Amino acid sequence: MAPLVQSWAGAYVKTPAAVTVTYGAIGSGGGIDQITARTVDFGASDAPMTPDQATACKSCLQIPWALGGVSIEYNVKGVPNNLKLTGPVLADIYLGNISSWNDPAIAKLNPGVSLPSTHITPIYRSDGSGTSFVLTDYLSAVSPDWSSKVGASTQPTFPTGTGAEHSSGVIAAMQATDGAITYSEVSYVAADHLNAALIANAAGTYESPTEKSILAAAAVGTTRSDGTIKLVNPPAAAADAYPLSSYTYVIVPETSPKASVLKPFLDYAVGSTGQAFGPPVYPALPSAVASSAKALIAKIHS
Amino acid sequence: MLVLALVMVLLVWNVVDQARPSISEFGVGFLTGTEWNAVTDKFGALDLICGTLATSLIALLIAVPIAIAIALFLTELAPAVLRTPVGMLVELLAAIPSVVLGLWGIVVMGPFLNDHVEPWMISHLGFIPFLDGYPSPVGLLPACLILTIMIVPIVASISRELLSSVPSDLKAGAMALGATRWEMVRRVALPQVGAGLVAGTMLGFARAVGEAIAVTQVIGGSLVRPQNLYAPADTMAGRLAAQYSGAATALQKASLAYLAVILLVISLITNLIANLIVRRMRRRLGTP
Repeated sequence: MAPLVQSWAGAYVKTPAAVTVTYGAIGSGGGIDQITARTVDFGASDAPMTPDQATACKSCLQIPWALGGVSIEYNVKGVPNNLKLTGPVLADIYLGNISSWNDPAIAKLNPGVSLPSTHITPIYRSDGSGTSFVLTDYLSAVSPDWSSKVGASTQPTFPTGTGAEHSSGVIAAMQATDGAITYSEVSYVAADHLNAALIANAAGTYESPTEKSILAAAAVGTTRSDGTIKLVNPPAAAADAYPLSSYTYVIVPETSPKASVLKPFLDYAVGSTGQAFGPPVYPALPSAVASSAKALIAKIHS
Repeated sequence: MLVLALVMVLLVWNVVDQARPSISEFGVGFLTGTEWNAVTDKFGALDLICGTLATSLIALLIAVPIAIAIALFLTELAPAVLRTPVGMLVELLAAIPSVVLGLWGIVVMGPFLNDHVEPWMISHLGFIPFLDGYPSPVGLLPACLILTIMIVPIVASISRELLSSVPSDLKAGAMALGATRWEMVRRVALPQVGAGLVAGTMLGFARAVGEAIAVTQVIGGSLVRPQNLYAPADTMAGRLAAQYSGAATALQKASLAYLAVILLVISLITNLIANLIVRRMRRRLGTP
């Protein structure tokens, strides 16, 4: 969601507030580290902070400010866009149980697609990433095997494949490797013309991350104990929901020396003007979430 | 000098202090633990220590003969007009920033290895354990080769300086006694500077052990032990560079600092030994 924050910053400097906002896409982990050290005024993350991170950050607020998701991209010579995958098959690919593209498990989901015998190279983030959390949180929900062997984390121990740093790194590594599969925040698919997979949700419908499918997942989100909202693997009742949707959070210390300039910017971002920059890639926040975000922003003080 | 020493002490103390939670949790067992898992909060460095030692030693194995050959060529064989330009070229290689070298590794060397070299090695040498598997543009092999490129200029320039310091009357004497040029090199020149070559090699080793950026770019940051020479792996310096920012748990951060402590110890020991050898040799040669 770096592109979204950058468009906010670009527009916000032209508003009467005329405040310049600088945002670097250094990865969720790096963002949490820097806000913990207070070397920046805010951080952003696709994953909720771990208990250790939250403790270290000392009364930091996690405010939902963008809605998006993680897409699954692949680069396999001869395989067209929109390959169909299910959560358990994706888990088996990342576990190394499925290691060639013409594996019967993948072929069964894609009748009529001729799949090569190319070796599958899963590519993952070697640095701490919210996208890794969204993916592994989802895989833990749909695959008992994944849940017991790997689990959900911003830095999970992937049992096979290749690591690369940052979204740009995993995309570049995927593009350089025939047979590669990877994951990234949704905006990269359109920006880099990548082949992305359709993922089956709990209702058995194959969905791509669109405005409609992400909003369908957001409609049935569940609140975690730390107040963040879980969207992955929505229940079957949400028949159109994309199963790898997620909120992105802005992380701000409750006591911030820049509260007086920071609060209006955050209000702008979660408000209707800011959210209008998002679609179709980032659907606007549902109104209930936007108002709870505003309530959290109001808590910030200097 | 005193300030430098103080900075050094403070730095070591700071790293050890950061590593303390991990040191008290895992103790010496950290060195032999193979799991690195932020979900279960269990950390061990064995695979990373092996990755660091394997890449550095393989790189040395390839680099040292090449470097000494270059040094011998420059001091004994090359015509005078070639000596300076070729010598400078080799030293320029050391001036390439490692991030640029790593980028070249990603864009040029990795795909070349993946498309041409590794398939050949797998079909012809696949019967040897550890040499069978799937080609990969990133992994142990590219990391070893990138490190080789980094070490060659260091070892070559040290070796060249040592070899050109061998007194010419010694060399002329050997030739006058009927030794061929090769016999002179093997029996007179190399033994004269042997200890220095060992020291130069150790400095190259220290360089390889500590290199993070270029290695991280081409090794593939694997979180598990590699199954073959082509597969992604990781080193201590690589893991430290990739995971320190944004570590998920406090223990993970401390364990990464623990890796830094191990790296510090290895490079301190290597540099100390290299320095001792150089000092002993200087005393023997009578140069200050």
